[in-house]
Amino acid sequence: MRARSATRTLVAGLVIAVAVAVAGAVIAAPDPDRAAAWSPVMYPMQRLPLTFSHALHLARDTPCAACHAAASSSRSAVDNLLPTEAACRACHPIDRAQPALVLPGQPPVACLACHPGFTPDAPVARVYLTPPPLKFDHSAHRAAPCETCHGDLRAVGLATTQHLPTMAACLRCHTNGSEPRHCADCHLAKLGGLIETRFDQGTLVPTHDGLGDAHDLDFKPHHAQQALQLGATCGACHDRSECVACHQGVVKPMDFHPGNYLLTHAVDARRGKPDCSACHRAQSFCVGCHERSGLGTRGDTQFSSIDPERAFHPPGWATAGPGPNRHAREARRNVTSCASCHREDECLTCHSAQPGALHASPHPTGWRGSARCKALDRGNRRVCLRCHITQDELGCDWMR
Amino acid sequence: MLRACVAAVVLAAGAPAAHAYEFWLRAQTIGQVYQLRDYRLIGPDLFLGRRRFTQTLALRIWDVGDLSATRREAHLPDRGLRVSWQSYLRIDHDFGEYTSGRVILQRTISVRRDALDVTPELGASAASLELLYGYVELAGLVDDRLTVQVGRVLADDGWGTSAVDGATGRLAVPETPLTVSAIAGLAVRAGSPLGIAAYELDGTSGAACQEFVEGPTPGSGTWKLIDRNRQITNNRLLSDYELCPQRDVSQPTLGVSLATATLHGFAGEVGYRRTWSSTPGLIGAVDRLQHPDLGLYPSQLAPATGINEERLWARVHGTVRAGGVAIAPYADLRYSLLTAVLDRADAGVRLARGVHSIEPSIEYFYPTFDGDSIFNVFSIEPTMDLRLAYARTGAFGVRATGWLRAYHHEAGTSSTAGGADAGVQHVFSASWRARIDALWDDGYGGRRVGGSAETAWRAQPTLWLRGRLITLAVARDDGGTGSSARPRYVTSSAVVSSTWQLSDGVALHTILELDNDAIQRLQYRAIGMFDFAFAPEP
Repeated sequence: MRARSATRTLVAGLVIAVAVAVAGAVIAAPDPDRAAAWSPVMYPMQRLPLTFSHALHLARDTPCAACHAAASSSRSAVDNLLPTEAACRACHPIDRAQPALVLPGQPPVACLACHPGFTPDAPVARVYLTPPPLKFDHSAHRAAPCETCHGDLRAVGLATTQHLPTMAACLRCHTNGSEPRHCADCHLAKLGGLIETRFDQGTLVPTHDGLGDAHDLDFKPHHAQQALQLGATCGACHDRSECVACHQGVVKPMDFHPGNYLLTHAVDARRGKPDCSACHRAQSFCVGCHERSGLGTRGDTQFSSIDPERAFHPPGWATAGPGPNRHAREARRNVTSCASCHREDECLTCHSAQPGALHASPHPTGWRGSARCKALDRGNRRVCLRCHITQDELGCDWMR
Repeated sequence: MLRACVAAVVLAAGAPAAHAYEFWLRAQTIGQVYQLRDYRLIGPDLFLGRRRFTQTLALRIWDVGDLSATRREAHLPDRGLRVSWQSYLRIDHDFGEYTSGRVILQRTISVRRDALDVTPELGASAASLELLYGYVELAGLVDDRLTVQVGRVLADDGWGTSAVDGATGRLAVPETPLTVSAIAGLAVRAGSPLGIAAYELDGTSGAACQEFVEGPTPGSGTWKLIDRNRQITNNRLLSDYELCPQRDVSQPTLGVSLATATLHGFAGEVGYRRTWSSTPGLIGAVDRLQHPDLGLYPSQLAPATGINEERLWARVHGTVRAGGVAIAPYADLRYSLLTAVLDRADAGVRLARGVHSIEPSIEYFYPTFDGDSIFNVFSIEPTMDLRLAYARTGAFGVRATGWLRAYHHEAGTSSTAGGADAGVQHVFSASWRARIDALWDDGYGGRRVGGSAETAWRAQPTLWLRGRLITLAVARDDGGTGSSARPRYVTSSAVVSSTWQLSDGVALHTILELDNDAIQRLQYRAIGMFDFAFAPEP
């Protein structure tokens, strides 16, 4: 008893300690910058060997369209909307023949002003952009001010892909955009309609700051809550066969159950983890295996409920008369573990009101007249008939 | 002949143009060879071989009829009617002695029988052709508000998946943020065409079914094993002896739910589902039994139908941001109207800040079963779990979980179990990562302490190798006896696996597992799997 109390204290202490430590670590973590939500998979590598200041241009009230004229008519994310030199010439009278030209009172026109490291005899470093693997129609969004999606660039020098909108920005207006059926509105779909997630620049996986279903290390064994989420987006990337191939599968998932789990699973089963039922049915999967392994009651088992030397359960497990009758407590605590070896007819040997049975009532205190009794009797009297076969015993008001 | 040729030409000329549709399929061919122990009290244990062959085929055919081809070619979002087909078919056959062998029943006279006849549940892998789901989906109906699926559809209340041969519908109610979903049909059972036992409600088995046999005077009858007045065919692939009429009757299922769209970061749903079945009557001829045959149940008392499952559920989920922290609270509960108990409930909140997240949660569990199962009466004591999880994403990933489970006894006392597990993973490069995990738990059920180390290496662009070592010390609890002689053992396991990409989308997976402990010395398991839709994991 003392050992059990110590264990409880130890467990409680450990949980509290972990809670405090983890909460502290998370709160003390630096405020996540925007990069945490920004995806390098969606906006792959770029090279912008340019000197440019959005801040200076916006301070002069230069409209965005003055440089990004094609944006309002673009219908594809593949379109290159960066201004070309021709667009710059509208204000900057560039003369390629005079790369170092300086015009007093005029905006900079020297090549070096925009192309860092420029030397007249070497080729100009090229701008390199990889189109994002997205569908986007700028023209459909032209009614919205640019800063709605791109943010305030008045303090930004050279804007990069880091300044392109994140998915969170899209969802501010497209409130139903996170529904699975809308994923392919923006994301590329592959054959079969599932979202394409594998690109040269990486694999697209949810993050904490995305839809909150981050595929972290704990995801595989504990994704029930994410799957329960209303409008869960699992089906956008995963075919249903991936779910049933595991949950109703035929192969033991090696990375889910540890090695030799066949031997150690009894601890989990005895504790009655509800997780087991996510994949296994006690009265078919568990019973079938236990019976075939000699641990059930119908196969070629050598265990015996009569011979103490061959008993599976400890002495005093099931006693017909006075005795510890320990199985009662275990059955009440977790009858599923009983159901993984025993079929109903074995319980009815004792727990029945029929002639010849022991009339051992499995009902809890106060069963008669209880809401549980009435609900079960009203919903399915067949189960009552397994033990009570006379009219006066049926219903929830009978008295023995 | 001439008329036939003319008819053929006319038919060919009048035939519509053939369409080719986008489709996606994933085929897996799995071969498993391993042994399971048949425990013997006297003499050495036997080993039963499993030689299991499984073939799966997942198929999606998209946009049947090319109804959205124009929009797709214009890179516009899918709108309007889209027709698709999704299915998952599986053939499973175990020709090892585990399933196909025979057993000797130790009775007054030893009886030798097919294992399948003794344990009909083994039939699930003896030779089965299963359609886990397969349905036609009509999406984009009624101004993109209605989606309908017809066929073998999956029914999911969040705590488990079952299947229904019928239809589902999902309608977004105009001018409101509400969506109504409904499902109707027959629940998929082991006895359904192309059925699977895993979808059945738990609590009833396919063996030892009994029928009520009336006595010499009315009311003096008893339940007895069903008289198997049938021809025994000694079919190795089917059970010859077991007959369970209640498990073979159809189970109509009806469900409806109402969900909201996300409003101010929160969404909710309430739902109801009911499954019922009729009561079987006579088994065979009226005069089959010695006394008046009244059917499977004492007919004057048995209801015409009985409910197998009737549940209400509700859930609320949300995601809001405050001070750089993504806060995602949730609460779910399920109430069994049939047994008048709250059988599942949970609540928690996930707090995420950058790559870090913590999630305290609480979960309540009260086991309930198929309405035909007497285990509903035996199940009395619920459990309550407290759980705290931490995760860090990124190249250096961390996970840690602490949990505490309380068992509430009828007498007002309680037992507990608890533990913690944690792991770290480091991605050293695009081709190499390693992971270490540790586990400790104690309390009701036993004590386990151990850990595992795992590494994955992409040796070549088409070859992945993985290795895992696990050691676990186990001390089972005393089973309520108060005995200090708790069985203790240490088990070690090594798993090595490889994935060899043979060509684009085709791979051969192999797994070898070696286990060693006081009971089983160097038990091995080998699995080979051909994957015809291979995509490497990230």
